[in-house]
Amino acid sequence: MKKLFAILGLALLVLLPFFITSPYYLHLLITIAIFSIVVLGLDIVFGYTGEVSIGHSALFGIGAYTAGTLLFQFGIGFWPSLIAGPLVAAMFGALLALPALQVTGPYLAMVTLAFGTIVQILINEMDWLTNGPLGIKLNTPNFFDWRDYSSFLPFFDMSAKRMKEMQYYYVVAFFLIATIVVINRILASHLGRAFEALRDSPIASDCMGVSVYKHKVIAFVTSAAFAGLAGVLFAYSEQYIAPNNFAFDLSIQFLLAVTMGGRKSRLGPILGAAIVVFLPNLLADINLFRIIAALIAAVAVVAGIFVAIKQPENRRSIIVPVALCLAFFVFSLFLQKITDYKLTVFGLMILFVVYYLPDGIVGFLKQIVTQINPALVKGHAVIDAKGDDAHAWTKVAPATLTADGSLLDGRGILMQFGGLKALDTVDLKIKPGTIHGLIGPNGSGKSTMMNVLTGIYVPTGGEVTFDGRAMAGLKSPEIAARGIARTFQNVQLFDELTLIENVLVGLHHTYHATFFDVAASLPRARREEQAARIRAASILSFVGLDKLANEEARNLPYGKMRLLEIGRALALDPKLLLLDEPAAGLTAPDIKDLVGIIRKIRDHGITVILIEHHMDVVMSICDTVTVLDFGHKIAEGKPAEVQANPRVIEAYLGGSAVAA
Amino acid sequence: MNKWIVGAAAMAALWTGAANAQDVKIGVSGPFTGGSASMGVSMRDGVKLAVDEINKAGGVLGGKKIVLIERDDEAKNELGVQIAQELINKEQVSATVGFINTGVSLASQRFYQEAEIPVINNVSTGTLIAKQFLPPDHKANYIFRTSANDAIQSGMIAQEAITRQGFKKPAILADSTNYGQLGREDLTKALAAMDVKPVAVEKFNIGDTDMTAQVLKAKEAGADVILTYAIGPELAQIANAMAKLGWKVPMIGSWTLSMATFIDTAGANGDGAMMPQVFIQLPTTPKRKAFIEAYQAAYKVDRMPSPVSAAQGYDSIYLLAAAINQAKSAEGKKIREALENLQTKVEGIVTTYDKPFSATDHEAITANIPVFGLVKGGRVVPAHPEDLEGDTALRIKPKS
Amino acid sequence: MDILAQLVVSGITVGMIYAVIAFGYQLTFATSETLNFGQGEALMVGALVGLTTINFLIGLNLGTLSAYLLMLPVIMAFGLLQGSIVEFLGVRKAIAIKSEAGWIMATIAIGIIIKNLAENIWGRDALKFPSPLAEASLQIGPVRIQPMEIAIVVGALLLMLAVELFNRRSIYGKAVVATANDRDAAGLMGINTKSVITFSYALSSMAAAFAGVLVAPITLTGASMGAVLGLKAFAVAIIGGLSSGIGLIVGGLILGITENLTGYYISSGYKDVPGLVLLLLVLSLKPSGLFGKATIKKV
Repeated sequence: MKKLFAILGLALLVLLPFFITSPYYLHLLITIAIFSIVVLGLDIVFGYTGEVSIGHSALFGIGAYTAGTLLFQFGIGFWPSLIAGPLVAAMFGALLALPALQVTGPYLAMVTLAFGTIVQILINEMDWLTNGPLGIKLNTPNFFDWRDYSSFLPFFDMSAKRMKEMQYYYVVAFFLIATIVVINRILASHLGRAFEALRDSPIASDCMGVSVYKHKVIAFVTSAAFAGLAGVLFAYSEQYIAPNNFAFDLSIQFLLAVTMGGRKSRLGPILGAAIVVFLPNLLADINLFRIIAALIAAVAVVAGIFVAIKQPENRRSIIVPVALCLAFFVFSLFLQKITDYKLTVFGLMILFVVYYLPDGIVGFLKQIVTQINPALVKGHAVIDAKGDDAHAWTKVAPATLTADGSLLDGRGILMQFGGLKALDTVDLKIKPGTIHGLIGPNGSGKSTMMNVLTGIYVPTGGEVTFDGRAMAGLKSPEIAARGIARTFQNVQLFDELTLIENVLVGLHHTYHATFFDVAASLPRARREEQAARIRAASILSFVGLDKLANEEARNLPYGKMRLLEIGRALALDPKLLLLDEPAAGLTAPDIKDLVGIIRKIRDHGITVILIEHHMDVVMSICDTVTVLDFGHKIAEGKPAEVQANPRVIEAYLGGSAVAA
Repeated sequence: MNKWIVGAAAMAALWTGAANAQDVKIGVSGPFTGGSASMGVSMRDGVKLAVDEINKAGGVLGGKKIVLIERDDEAKNELGVQIAQELINKEQVSATVGFINTGVSLASQRFYQEAEIPVINNVSTGTLIAKQFLPPDHKANYIFRTSANDAIQSGMIAQEAITRQGFKKPAILADSTNYGQLGREDLTKALAAMDVKPVAVEKFNIGDTDMTAQVLKAKEAGADVILTYAIGPELAQIANAMAKLGWKVPMIGSWTLSMATFIDTAGANGDGAMMPQVFIQLPTTPKRKAFIEAYQAAYKVDRMPSPVSAAQGYDSIYLLAAAINQAKSAEGKKIREALENLQTKVEGIVTTYDKPFSATDHEAITANIPVFGLVKGGRVVPAHPEDLEGDTALRIKPKS
Repeated sequence: MDILAQLVVSGITVGMIYAVIAFGYQLTFATSETLNFGQGEALMVGALVGLTTINFLIGLNLGTLSAYLLMLPVIMAFGLLQGSIVEFLGVRKAIAIKSEAGWIMATIAIGIIIKNLAENIWGRDALKFPSPLAEASLQIGPVRIQPMEIAIVVGALLLMLAVELFNRRSIYGKAVVATANDRDAAGLMGINTKSVITFSYALSSMAAAFAGVLVAPITLTGASMGAVLGLKAFAVAIIGGLSSGIGLIVGGLILGITENLTGYYISSGYKDVPGLVLLLLVLSLKPSGLFGKATIKKV
């Protein structure tokens, strides 16, 4: 199905200029293709990592000005600037992303907005380089003079102008296709999975060694490079560029294009780009505008009736958007001077799309098709690798131990939140190859300890040595890389990824293919992907989830989610595995399976720290147990000893009644 | 093979739509929204006034109506380009008038040049505009202008400041747009020709609200006159910053000092500012009187927002209509030929156009036509009333 | 030296305006971790409504100063209303569906709409705002300063102080602070966090409208006056830190003064550049801002 669409799309792209003889429409077509490249790139940042960039017009402008400046100052033409444009834009992208993405929240949006303004000012000011406000003139390159062959190809307009435009159209179309291919490859690779994972659960991503920060930067820089590429193409298509070409509102148009067309798809951004390019035309002619408003209202009414019949429970929620569409049509009838109010219309469009069409037109169509026949819409690529027990485990280098034979040695760990000491100078030694229980009443500091050990909290005091090295100052992804994996008390799966994809994110560390290996689909990238898939399938079958490999994680029952988290953590090839209440919410038979799995993990040489409230589980499998209460360690030893310790009994009876 | 051609032709016909053979289509491109909208809208209003008059009087080519296709370019280059392509290829206009912003002119007009459709720039002033496609490099130039270009204006400004008023230390303040910076260049050149070097050259961005730094610099450099190339709001900020710093030297600048946004917002601080004007809202000739009254009646205003833009817009249509009638055709090439050799005298608002263009000269306005206006009590009045008295009221381009 | 003093004084005035707008960002960011990307437009429409009001009052034969003072409660009420509308239309739904892109784009869109409507109501040209104080500037030591510039600094400080006092003293203000500290916990304590967020938006737009009528007499009013100011206030919010009131004032002053000094001593064309450099530097070295507190993630 997808293939068919791709071939049809390709054919359309190739044949279009034969039907469109008007240079006006051919130029619009070229502009749509160029905008599509920017918007497809923006989708990586906006759709996949969920960050908002209001600076893409500036990056686009940097690409265009790279081409312009190379030609104007150095006489360097089209082809070299196709390489330089994306590079320079990527550099500026990195300059922005590196500081701005350190912080979560709207910072990227704010910084990129400021950046957009400054770039315009700089281009304007640096007239010794950019020719300032005068702008730069370029000429669309004429690659090959077909007129010599006009006797063989008599059926076209063979004028030099037309040939030049046609050729340029094909060059742009080629880069559009290349962009789609590269983006598809990246999104299908470990990088693409990382982008989606970090949006679903940034904390779990970091703890799987997939640095949220690093991958957001990669996504942004990639996106900047595409904007730069499009900028070069734009400069040679417009043939005149000036600083005010690349203003703030262009960025908003790009964002509107992604949202309106549909995020996280290839078709959506292209559709969005087409709408945005045609928008000034639509908003110039009041009659055309009314016709379109009427069409939208009609579609909304039909869709509304459809939903009202098929899903009566959603009737209320569909009323508002349908009413809005009708109101919009009425508004269009009252509107006399469209040009005066076109920005209002533009703003209303954004508002409507953001709230009532959040998945864009493509998402909306998909929804409708799903209603008719769910089989037609495929959510995820099916990965059908076969796994076996042998592939589930790899040999991990032997750990370096401290003088007294500990794998992990925490001394005097202090974690203070304001006046509250969640951990008060706790010592913790973990012997290799053991299952070490960590128990205590609620609020005793167990999860805080987990968070300190995995770098989510920076301890106020104390030090931790793991595998022979101090861990001070390490961030979660670095700690994960050193071999500490974890699960979470409140399950943190990558909800929108399938089970096998979840595990593949855990296997991120096994990939060494660079961005370019992936983009070019080199053998190394394919080999690694193949190997990782087999391992992922093997791990899934180890935790007993192989039958559900291609289900989305959010559709799993709770108990299975916990197993998947363990599987994902194992993919990290950890030396130490931290399990935070793995049995919570599990049924008795599930718990029995779980105990078996934990034992097997230990038997494969992986040390385990287990936080658990089910005392029978703790007592049956732990080699050593540490008891925390109000941030203090109150007991440590063999399960039986600890159980008999009066302080422990007091803590549990005096605390909450959770003890089993 | 034939199918291709039929298909293509059908598509083309579908898209271009059937034009009404009875009408002559003229494109109007200008910013009707945003910062330079007051000029764009005045220009459009002047154009509409002229078209209404012509159509009421029987149209052109013996009874055909002129139909305007108005497009808002928002002062954006790329939109100007898109509009140019639309007007040429989709609407198939016979000619286009308009352009307020030099950048939009430069970006868009090469499409008209390629399509051999004449353009009359009726407001934008960048010196390069009418010289972009001069013969012999190009077969013919399709770009005309009915506004006073920057070379003329900056020459006049320098002349007024240095020669007529005897200032010695001018400071130039210009905005950072295409308009301001091109003007600054012309102004520096004009001063250099008089062996005067500006003591300070400062710039600012559109929307800047605090000009203290720029004005202080001019003051510290000991400037005795401020020469400006910017638009209304920022010009007012300069006047206000001067008042704030308690420093008063005359302001002489490009025609935009006559913008209502300057006069109204600078208030008393703006009094005394001088600028070249091709038209001042005064009934110094019967034609001007009629035009002012018609404009006031049609748009229900007392003071025209931008009299210069309105007058130049109005005149550009009459020139075009005369050329179309002379060419006996609505074909771009023939209109261009007629414009370059206009047989009838066109009595306009700014001047009486007697062979305003030739094959090599596409500037209708020469340095002798504009006079200096002066801001006084919220209006622009002639700076040197003798300039507009008697015979000198109507200034005509000298025969080459 | 005189010049330096003059530049610094001018920088302080501009900086205080930036600080008031950024203060509006801070108010909403505290309660909902969202902010109004159309804050500049809130300022602009506040100033224009103020212009219409003051002209109406002057038409009733009131003196400019008394008309100005009478206008203040009107535009503050208008600001409250406008902010509530922005929250209701643009932000509420986005918070419910936890969509960051949603509120960013929605507030931008509302800003665009407001600007376009203002263009159609008040025209596209900049308009003069009657000055309530004498326009002639005073010579204070080496510096010349307009009375209105002093009023800006005083007014800005007073407004921020008043809102802070309100937040600390009144029961409603305490609900705002509680929501700012922990939205979930405040919700559990019976605070209607939704209406607290609406209220913070109302306050935020009120601050913007107030800033608008403060700055209008020395600049100009018009549909395009807000964009640049809103943007500069972003830089201030990041430099000073979105969580610190003092940070905003310091950030505003730093930016205002740097701009003026760059404009004079380096080049007026590069006036806006140090702001961004500063912004990127602060983000790299201390992402939470010069005066911001680092936040702790909750797992």
